[in-house]
Amino acid sequence: MQLNYGWNDFNDIDWMAIIPILLPFILIAVVLILFALIDLYRNRHRRENVLMWTLIIILFNTIGPILYFILGRKDRRRT
Amino acid sequence: MSAFSVLTKKEFSQTVREFKIVWLPLVFILLGATQPIMMHYLPSILKSVGGMDGITIDPSVTQVSGAEVMASTIDAQFNQLGTIILVVSLMGVIQSEKANGMLSFILTRPVSTLSFVWSKVLSQFVFLAFCLSLGFLTSYGYATFLFSTVPWNEFLLSMLFYFVWLLFIVSFVVMVSTIFNSQGIIALIGIVFLFFCAVTAGLHPILALLSPAGMSLQAISLLATGTMNPQVGWSFFFTLLWIGITVGVTYFWIAKKKFQK
Repeated sequence: MQLNYGWNDFNDIDWMAIIPILLPFILIAVVLILFALIDLYRNRHRRENVLMWTLIIILFNTIGPILYFILGRKDRRRT
Repeated sequence: MSAFSVLTKKEFSQTVREFKIVWLPLVFILLGATQPIMMHYLPSILKSVGGMDGITIDPSVTQVSGAEVMASTIDAQFNQLGTIILVVSLMGVIQSEKANGMLSFILTRPVSTLSFVWSKVLSQFVFLAFCLSLGFLTSYGYATFLFSTVPWNEFLLSMLFYFVWLLFIVSFVVMVSTIFNSQGIIALIGIVFLFFCAVTAGLHPILALLSPAGMSLQAISLLATGTMNPQVGWSFFFTLLWIGITVGVTYFWIAKKKFQK
């Protein structure tokens, strides 16, 4: 197994065979992430830890947006 | 309009307001797509990760049928990450109404407890069944496209079998959500118990018969073998019994007002 891959390795991949299979999958994952980010952005003044949630949504694929929708959509307590 | 239909409408507007109606279907579509794609690329993944020395991949091993791929979708995705997501998305279903006092308020109206409980269970079930069927359809499409055609009747029957197990999941989490007050405990008990059911059902045929997870096993075996297990009627009966018990406990708990301390 190689540890590092160079840019040239990208050319070795048969993209035309992969894209039709993976495209719908990636598209739905991106829609999910965008949806979470848009909701977070629209409520950015009322939510806690906006930056933390942004990172979670972007970095943890599929599970991040789920966590945000379940746990993150709580508004800051009014003082 | 009856109290039941009003409460059901309220549940649906709740799912729209929490955006559940958008993200849960998307998540289940992703879950349904993951397994066929992963199994399709498994030989190349093994080749690039496992080191090629001394390992030859038997070409006949990779010839799985589409139905088997769907069976492993249920087994590896819906029964694991899918269950966790279901429990976590359901955990607040009655607990949040207890917390903000809505439950006590609704029960001061002329609403029967039974219609309250059933509207909760049924509306959540219909919505989650919709999400799951999207996941099943995605898995069906990918399995047919990448492997071999899955017979329609096997696909539909296994989906119906799985819905019985889904109805148990919903009624069980609603019960736990009625009894306990902390969301963390509800999620923990729900996930641990449902996994326990799924694991014990696989150990012995008698346990599979009695366990509510038997129906999910029947769905998997129907897809994997292509034949219907003769025990399926009994499994169905016992799962319905379990659903009856959990709904009964929920009803009792709310009717006796045990939720107020």
